[in-house]
Amino acid sequence: MRLNILVGGKAGQGINAVSKIISHVLVKAGYFSFNCRDYGSLIRGGHNFNVISISDKKVGSIEKELDGIVALDDKTTDLHKKELKENGFVIKAGDFPVLGINLNMAMAGALCKILCLDKKFLIEEIEEHFPVKEAVKAGEIGYDKVEKRFNCSKISNKIEILSGNEGISKGFVNSKGDLYFSYPMTPATDVLHILGLSQDGKHRVFQPENEIAVVNMALGASYTGKKVMVGTSGGGFDLMTEALSFQGMSEIPLVVYLASRPGPGTGVPTYTSQADLDVALRAGHGEFPRIVIAPGDPIECAEKTNEAFYLAEKFNTLSIILSDKHLAESEFSSDRKENKILKININRELPGQKIVRANGYEHDEKGHTIEDAEIVKKMAEKRLEKYEKIKKEVKRFEMVKIYGNKNAENLVVSWGSNKTVILDALDSIDKSIETGKGNWKFLQVLYLKPLSDEIKNEIEKAKKVVIVENNLTGQLGRLIREKTGIKIESRILKYDSRPFYCDELKNELLKLK
Amino acid sequence: MTSFDTKETITWCPGCPNFLILAAVKKALSELNLKKEEIVMTTGIGCHGKVFDYIDIGGVYSLHGRPIAVAEGIKLGNPKLKVLTFAGDGDTYNEGISHFVHACRYNLDMALIVHDNRSFSLTTGQATATSQQGFKTKVEPKGEFLKPLNPILLALSAGASFIARCNARDIEHTAKVLVEAVKHKGFAFVEILQDCIIFNLEVNNLDKLMYKVDNRKDKEKAFELAKEWDYNSTNGKIPIGILYQEERKTLEENF
Repeated sequence: MRLNILVGGKAGQGINAVSKIISHVLVKAGYFSFNCRDYGSLIRGGHNFNVISISDKKVGSIEKELDGIVALDDKTTDLHKKELKENGFVIKAGDFPVLGINLNMAMAGALCKILCLDKKFLIEEIEEHFPVKEAVKAGEIGYDKVEKRFNCSKISNKIEILSGNEGISKGFVNSKGDLYFSYPMTPATDVLHILGLSQDGKHRVFQPENEIAVVNMALGASYTGKKVMVGTSGGGFDLMTEALSFQGMSEIPLVVYLASRPGPGTGVPTYTSQADLDVALRAGHGEFPRIVIAPGDPIECAEKTNEAFYLAEKFNTLSIILSDKHLAESEFSSDRKENKILKININRELPGQKIVRANGYEHDEKGHTIEDAEIVKKMAEKRLEKYEKIKKEVKRFEMVKIYGNKNAENLVVSWGSNKTVILDALDSIDKSIETGKGNWKFLQVLYLKPLSDEIKNEIEKAKKVVIVENNLTGQLGRLIREKTGIKIESRILKYDSRPFYCDELKNELLKLK
Repeated sequence: MTSFDTKETITWCPGCPNFLILAAVKKALSELNLKKEEIVMTTGIGCHGKVFDYIDIGGVYSLHGRPIAVAEGIKLGNPKLKVLTFAGDGDTYNEGISHFVHACRYNLDMALIVHDNRSFSLTTGQATATSQQGFKTKVEPKGEFLKPLNPILLALSAGASFIARCNARDIEHTAKVLVEAVKHKGFAFVEILQDCIIFNLEVNNLDKLMYKVDNRKDKEKAFELAKEWDYNSTNGKIPIGILYQEERKTLEENF
């Protein structure tokens, strides 16, 4: 069973609340859901919508064809009815008495009934998330108003709902992060909020005057032995660039979370894109080591953030965690347990106990400024050597993952937020992932720097290879070509600022020769 | 007495007032009687930044314009450390002015020492925000036409809790003010006027206008003192010493 339901209305009408209630009720009933948010850059009015995809099996994408529309205003129906299947349902505002701001709860109630979900779960969820009498009452009115249509009877999956940004925050907390510095910027802002709201004496959050201050403060705090992270999107990351280079020279550990969105410039600020891989790999003048990791779902966000902290501290280096709006802000459901949390030990000499010199100027081993050619050469080689050590160390982590039939002839190569839509699309073609017996396999690249040697082997083994990226120029493809000499000719690229839809990607994959 | 000397070769021009500022800083540090490991400095980029190698304490030799932000991070990371920031006028009033203004607001317990030689000297003498009108450079051969910024007035407006101005040539007085600045609980801003003996000798000409004051708590008076000299005129009076001091909760106390 798989259903796609669109919940739309004006900004401020509480669309996200509907998705939240539904997805949490679904969890209680043992169903998976995937919620994708489509909203413009405005606070009240306009037209926003979420598409929530529901399944009794794992689901990590949405489809274009809709089984139902929940319309908090008339515009939603006008705009989306063409996407509705012939026998699809519509829940309209006019179906209910005047409920004011609680209209959305009535809609959530009606949707629960249509899906044949337990009313008890609905009430529990509204009481937990919106604990006012009127909200609960509206939920009940909605539930009682409509008829059952589908049958989501209870099944026994144990599911957790998490957005990518929640995963990143979890990784920060798991790593026992001390300080998070950030300047608000979509789509990284949630992490600032999540960590801000959960300041409990174990960690602190500070929002400085701009991203330049963000990263320099973070380096200052890290110098004192604290575990720090900064978070931003492309424009803010650009401002941090000089400090990334400063990190390379001063070797103060730093973890950067880069949640990308379409550029250049302000671009399309509340939508999605994978166009910042190049800048993550190369930002900063001079030559210095770094690590770039791109998780593909929220659980991986938590795991890879933990690895980023571990590596930054172990090698006094720069770790960049790369995500995008689609991963950062979509709500995924998962039944997978996280990998074991790595303990991060601070074994450096620290100010307060010793005289510690961190220097952005070229310096000798003690941190004194130098310009001597011999030492300049030696220190440059030392930094290069460090990268060789990093390359060895990261082999203990999942640098790539392979899904589906290991002996399949067709190979899809991709990274980041495309992971779950590719898994869904391959299953919808021939259940390749679910059974491991189809014609397809998927190579997910998690470490973009260093890059795994396995990539070359997998590409050489496959008969047909296609790369899937949410950008205009195929940046991972270029990176693979640079590192392996292999040019992947078949590319499925999407650059309209929207994520891949499962049905759309399936059709594109089937078109390949 | 603890020595703060290092073995590094000093590469300032012979006769540079930075030698005098360095002497005042070392004198102040000795008087403060702190453990070396507990004092940390950050420096920017420019002639002043070389102090990183000339004072035997740890710290971060940061980028141009960024020593304030790095120092703030250090203080948030370990509030027990005594943090001194050395910066130039180019660092503070040009490249990093946003950090300066916000540092006055944040009021972290740290001291900012600005070596204000009123020119970009390590890049061979261009005008900074505090260069006087008429200052001839290779960029403006007919003389700088922009009016200078008054950093004292700016700091006062932005809410700095300790503001002082010193004359680099007066080591005793500068050291005394620096001791007070480090002891002050909050953001202490010390603007040190110095010549660049190669590119901008204007401060030398102003020596005779300087007179010493010690004003605490009186904000009205502080504004008057701040406005007494606009960083441009060559007559009138230039007050030096502590121009303002107030007690206010620090950021780390609120944090």
